[in-house]
Amino acid sequence: MAHTPHFDLSDPAFDVTSDVVHAARDQQWYVETNWGWAVLRYAEANAILKDRRFRQGNARWPEQNGIHSGMFSDWWAEVLLSIEGDDHARIRRLLMPAFRNKAIAAMRPRFQALADELIDGFVERGEVEFVSEFAEPYASRIICVLLGLPEEDWPQVAHWADDLGRSFGISVAADLPRIEAALDGLHRHLDAVVTDRQATPRDDLVTTLLQAQETDGTLTRHELGVALVFLAFAGMETTRNQLGLALQTLLSHPDQWRLLGERPDLGGQAVEEIMRVNPTVTWITREAVEDVDLHGLHIPAGGIVQVLSHAAGTDPAAMPDPGFDITAVRPPHLGFGSGVHHCLGHFVARTDMAVALPLLARRMPDARADGPGEWLPVSGNTGPVRYPIRFTPGPRSGG
Amino acid sequence: MKVKVDFDRCQSNGLCEAIAPATFELDDDDYLQILDDEVTEQNREAIERAVASCPTSAISIVED
Ligand code: HEM
Ligand code: SF4
Repeated sequence: MAHTPHFDLSDPAFDVTSDVVHAARDQQWYVETNWGWAVLRYAEANAILKDRRFRQGNARWPEQNGIHSGMFSDWWAEVLLSIEGDDHARIRRLLMPAFRNKAIAAMRPRFQALADELIDGFVERGEVEFVSEFAEPYASRIICVLLGLPEEDWPQVAHWADDLGRSFGISVAADLPRIEAALDGLHRHLDAVVTDRQATPRDDLVTTLLQAQETDGTLTRHELGVALVFLAFAGMETTRNQLGLALQTLLSHPDQWRLLGERPDLGGQAVEEIMRVNPTVTWITREAVEDVDLHGLHIPAGGIVQVLSHAAGTDPAAMPDPGFDITAVRPPHLGFGSGVHHCLGHFVARTDMAVALPLLARRMPDARADGPGEWLPVSGNTGPVRYPIRFTPGPRSGG
Repeated sequence: MKVKVDFDRCQSNGLCEAIAPATFELDDDDYLQILDDEVTEQNREAIERAVASCPTSAISIVED
């Protein structure tokens, strides 16, 4: 009898991009784990993310970690990711205008100026600690701009978002006091912005949401507070980590790095290709709301399914030529999830990374890792903690 | 061949608009409008990509 593997997704040594995962994918479309079933192939992964017989599977996360009450579990129960049906559709619809492609495309010059400013800050040294000197301030300042916070608040916002991110770590119960302090800090900070915009409206996200609240009364002040804190949580760490992973992939393909520096128009496609092979959100979770039978697998109501985004993105059945190539056009990757919970901020993330990566490639043309750095386990939400890089400085603008 | 959108599924996230702007457009109230429902040699590739990229599988290509 063939041996059926069993994965322990929370083992720090387990790597979702390793050969055992690829070998398991050759055998079957799914595998059992300590955390439900993991889906390994593109077709099934894509279908399950969109399947309405499943809900987003992170809603019961606090409860599964023994946290049944308190500030964190109350907040988590109300965030966009946890709610379903009419409430979810209503709040998403209200937030949507701020995240439309056109609204975000208008921010491109701002993203570019920010990237240039950050690069100017270290480029002469010929070395950089990429996370603290670029990825984190870039991601955090963009969140500040979106939420209408003063940009100089970014270190505090980054710190809070980071502490909140611990809610997805293995030691969430032990980290609870820090998590709740961060939640409280972000709440108060953003509440002050709401109060300010009530008195002095601006052309920004918070003002737009306040107006929606007044004109059709569909968003309560409480819901607004929950949503704003969640945006800081959902947008900061993800973008920071994905930028670090982008460099990791590009620096191991120097020809592609060079090409990107010469052809900034490839920035958008490069982001897609990077997220296909090296996504920061390595499992996207679903929970069955009814009994589901899928290609020989019975998933009872309440059953948890993890879509492994890297395994799906490198599935040879869907990507006949799976090598890394920023000029290739592929089936859509699943790094932003899919279905009704598909990432609300994907245009922000796609645009800011598409702007930053070619600028980095131009100004650090021969960039290479300077030592091993420090990395999160390659499971859950992954990425670098510290990523020192060395390079010969390149020119600021072309020509 | 024509483009069809199931508006009960559409979430107005505008991915299709970003991929095939000659066919799809979000109006000022964030409702999706089909500018031109004809699938032609020229726009087929973009429309097929929009179909594949729509997170809620709201778009289909149907026979006339
Ligand atoms: C590279 C950066 C990012 C990645 C990899 C990422 C990834 C994801 C993923 C995987 C989901 C869950 C989708 C699902 O379950 O199908 C999600 C949801 C979400 N993301 Fe992002 N995200 C990023 C950036 C952002 C940004 C910048 C924002 C906003 C400022 C944002 C806001 C959200 C929100 C609000 C949700 C919940 C949507 C819902 O439940 O309806 N994300 N994201
Ligand atoms: S991509 Fe799909 S959900 Fe989004 S606007 Fe187009 S049809 Fe609607």
